[in-house]
Amino acid sequence: MTVSSTSKDARDLFGALWSAYSATPTNLKIIDQYVAFAVFTAVIQVVYMALVGTFPFNSFLSGVLSCVGTAVLAVCLRIQVNKENKEFKDIAPERAFADFVLCNVVLHLVIINFLG
Amino acid sequence: MAKLIFVVLLTLIPILCTSFSPEKPSDRRILVLLDDFAVKSSHSLFFKSLQSRGFDLEFKLADDPKIALQRYGQYLYDALVLFCPTIERFGGSIDAAAVLDFVDSGHDLIVGADNNASDLIREIATECGVDFDEDSAAMVVDHSGYAVSSTEGDHTLIASDDFIKSDVILGSKKIEAPVLFQGIGHSLNPSNSLVLKVLSASPTAFSANPKSKLTSPPSLIGSSISLVSVIQARNNARILISGSLSMFSNRFFRSDVQKAGSPTKHDKSGNEQFFTELSKWVLHERGHLKAVNVQHHKVGETNEPSIYRINDDLEYSVEIYEWSGTTWEPYVADDVQIQFYMMSPYVLKTLSNDSKGRYFTSFKVPDVYGVFQFKIEYERLGYTSLSLSKQIPVRPFRHNEYERFIPAAYPYYGAAFSMMAGFFVFSAVHLYNK
Repeated sequence: MTVSSTSKDARDLFGALWSAYSATPTNLKIIDQYVAFAVFTAVIQVVYMALVGTFPFNSFLSGVLSCVGTAVLAVCLRIQVNKENKEFKDIAPERAFADFVLCNVVLHLVIINFLG
Repeated sequence: MAKLIFVVLLTLIPILCTSFSPEKPSDRRILVLLDDFAVKSSHSLFFKSLQSRGFDLEFKLADDPKIALQRYGQYLYDALVLFCPTIERFGGSIDAAAVLDFVDSGHDLIVGADNNASDLIREIATECGVDFDEDSAAMVVDHSGYAVSSTEGDHTLIASDDFIKSDVILGSKKIEAPVLFQGIGHSLNPSNSLVLKVLSASPTAFSANPKSKLTSPPSLIGSSISLVSVIQARNNARILISGSLSMFSNRFFRSDVQKAGSPTKHDKSGNEQFFTELSKWVLHERGHLKAVNVQHHKVGETNEPSIYRINDDLEYSVEIYEWSGTTWEPYVADDVQIQFYMMSPYVLKTLSNDSKGRYFTSFKVPDVYGVFQFKIEYERLGYTSLSLSKQIPVRPFRHNEYERFIPAAYPYYGAAFSMMAGFFVFSAVHLYNK
């Protein structure tokens, strides 16, 4: 009785979350998928490092930091282009995207130099 | 005539100059200081054995005002024999400090004391880590280890066979007969780690005045009493201190000996063999090592590099010889170790040898860079200590000595490039979606 009610509650909860998320604009959903892809790649590398050891450590650092950096920059872009976020309403989405591109270029230059 | 003498002197110069040198470590010239010249004839067997081995003995009275150990800053002798137990003050420029300076500069010393040893002799012995019994009338008495003689004595003539177990100090031939001893006992200063008991008293011995009644327990008892001791100083100078001068005498050398309680009677005491072998050691005819020809190089090369790289394989070799009194013989041992040392040994390896004196090994430089040393610290009982160190820096890999692409890092390269590709794809999708 209690088990079925708990699972029902959980199902209701996820259903509510999903329906709320479905209302999100498509461009934000794309950014979310991009962030998930970056985090997933980072996790794979950490697991690989745990298996084979820290050598070469610089390559590991640049690989993981590349993913983390990408994810952070994408999240920043998502905050700025979100229409419902009033804090950044003065910044045009084009300007936000230009910042995102510039930061990514700098990030990947550093990563390539440190990779190995 | 004057010209002839000059030419003769000129030809003698190279001979006169052959004194103690690293090439011939045996002593050559020995100064013997005596209380009176009777000792020269009463101890002639000991002196003859030294002379027959090529030593040049110079006998002087200890209070001779003309004796000197050095002239113009050069030592005149390589070894000093003090057979003058009663001397209170040396003649000439010698005093206790001069004798100790003589030892400090690497020369050898033989001291024969007696139960009436003077303060001067006691002072020299104390400086060497040997403390004679303070009671000047005390002798070593042993009521069960005495030497049987025709007259029932007071058991101060001791037959001892408690030798140090060292072939290098006492020779490889076992001393069968006990050694006769009559004199004062001494104890070793426990804070001096260099002094060794060569001949110790038996557990039943004690040190007391044999003529008076024993009222208080004797200060020196049992096998802690040393009868004959040796010291090898850190500069490899060797010292022999005996509590009995008569041990060296012809009478004791020739005497038959039977230890109390033992059925065997030896025709000849062990004194002669004991002191012949011991004097060979003290005068550097045995147990003197030298290490030469240190070589190291990378495996497969012959030149000695000025620097190694971490994880290099290298080969190290050194030659060790022992002085036999006349020639340098190969020294053979299986316990010589090399250290590759920086603050602490990173590599400690036993060297293998080819029985011709060459010791060698090969090892891998540790994965640590810094200034290392090849170090050999070899200290064995009776042998002079060997201490070699040679400095060598070790550098890390240069940046271009690593592999360009490391297979283990391919996932990281892949992740970094997929992030770049992902950035382009995302940018396109993001802009198109606008």
